[in-house]
Amino acid sequence: MNPMDPAILRSSVETIDSLPSIPASLKQIMNLIGSSRVTLEEIANLISQDLALTSRVLKVVNSAIYGVPERISSISYAIMMLGMDTVRGLVIGAAAFELMQKVMAGLWRHSIACATVARIIAVRKDLRNVEEVAIAALLHDVGKVCFGLKYPLELKLAMDQAQDDEITLLEAEKGYFAEDHAAAGRWLTEKWRFNRKMVEIIACHHVPRLSRTARLETSIVHFADILVRARGIGFAGDKMMPLLDDKAFDMLRLSKHDIRRILEELEESLDE
Amino acid sequence: MSRKIGIDDLKPGMKLAKALTARAGIMLLPRGAVLTESQIQTLRAMSVEKVSIAGPPTPQITKEQLLSDLDRRFHKAESKPAMKFVKKIVQEHIESLYESNGSCDTEEQC
Repeated sequence: MNPMDPAILRSSVETIDSLPSIPASLKQIMNLIGSSRVTLEEIANLISQDLALTSRVLKVVNSAIYGVPERISSISYAIMMLGMDTVRGLVIGAAAFELMQKVMAGLWRHSIACATVARIIAVRKDLRNVEEVAIAALLHDVGKVCFGLKYPLELKLAMDQAQDDEITLLEAEKGYFAEDHAAAGRWLTEKWRFNRKMVEIIACHHVPRLSRTARLETSIVHFADILVRARGIGFAGDKMMPLLDDKAFDMLRLSKHDIRRILEELEESLDE
Repeated sequence: MSRKIGIDDLKPGMKLAKALTARAGIMLLPRGAVLTESQIQTLRAMSVEKVSIAGPPTPQITKEQLLSDLDRRFHKAESKPAMKFVKKIVQEHIESLYESNGSCDTEEQC
């Protein structure tokens, strides 16, 4: 199962739901999410059967990631408000919470903070798909979770190397995996039938210019990732800053004042 | 800046960052109020869960620690103007977290 072989790596990532370390309830959800005929009711029913998952989904819905005006307390209402595409991501995100923490302590906090910043910027830019951008930000590092579950040794070695050589995990991954965590994120989210924009945001979050249909959204998540790392919130596997893409940053047209306001909003959201 | 503190972690002398209102919109305590032990007991009796307290969000981490971590993270990236720009903003932001020192004189500071 050599992860330096691209075909093997891809098939390992796409069959991640067959790993014994993944709980049966999550497998069922991954299966259902990836099916083309699933209805909102079926997803609502499945979530509602799992008390822990229900409370986690509601927690994310009611957090600063979503701008819902009042507290949402039922799964079916949450799903109705958010729509199918965001619910796919939300459920995977909420279900992957424990796995995220297991694979990389601090990744959940990093991801939540990225989702919050991405949401703030998307609202400022008057985007219509704010929730999609937020959920894609929440899951932008899902490839790392996948690597950690399937190849814990290689991920550990890559993280150690990043630490020793003072490079980013993205750079260190090249020595251990045929493709990086962003590619793994693409394979996974395509398998889960995320819409094209969300797939591109996740696949291109380090190189936003490669996005063809969601360049602005991808630039938002790219910048959110960098700002959250700069502030030192959570942990994404390394201690060095990845470089900001100049074109992406220009596209966002954020002034110094704007960024200060975003950081303040982020700070407030972390209290909750 | 402020942080949310759970009712069990409140201590007398802490200062409110925001006015505390009951569900019906009635103000219980004004912004800037300094909590007393008996007020904390009352809040507990009213099942208040969290309160916004003035001060840096993570008082257990010092400003110097945050700033030296920031330097380390950026030391290889600073030659790029965009990264230098972001670093400077985050640095000023971190400094501001520790500045207000719990005093909330104007709306902007809170």
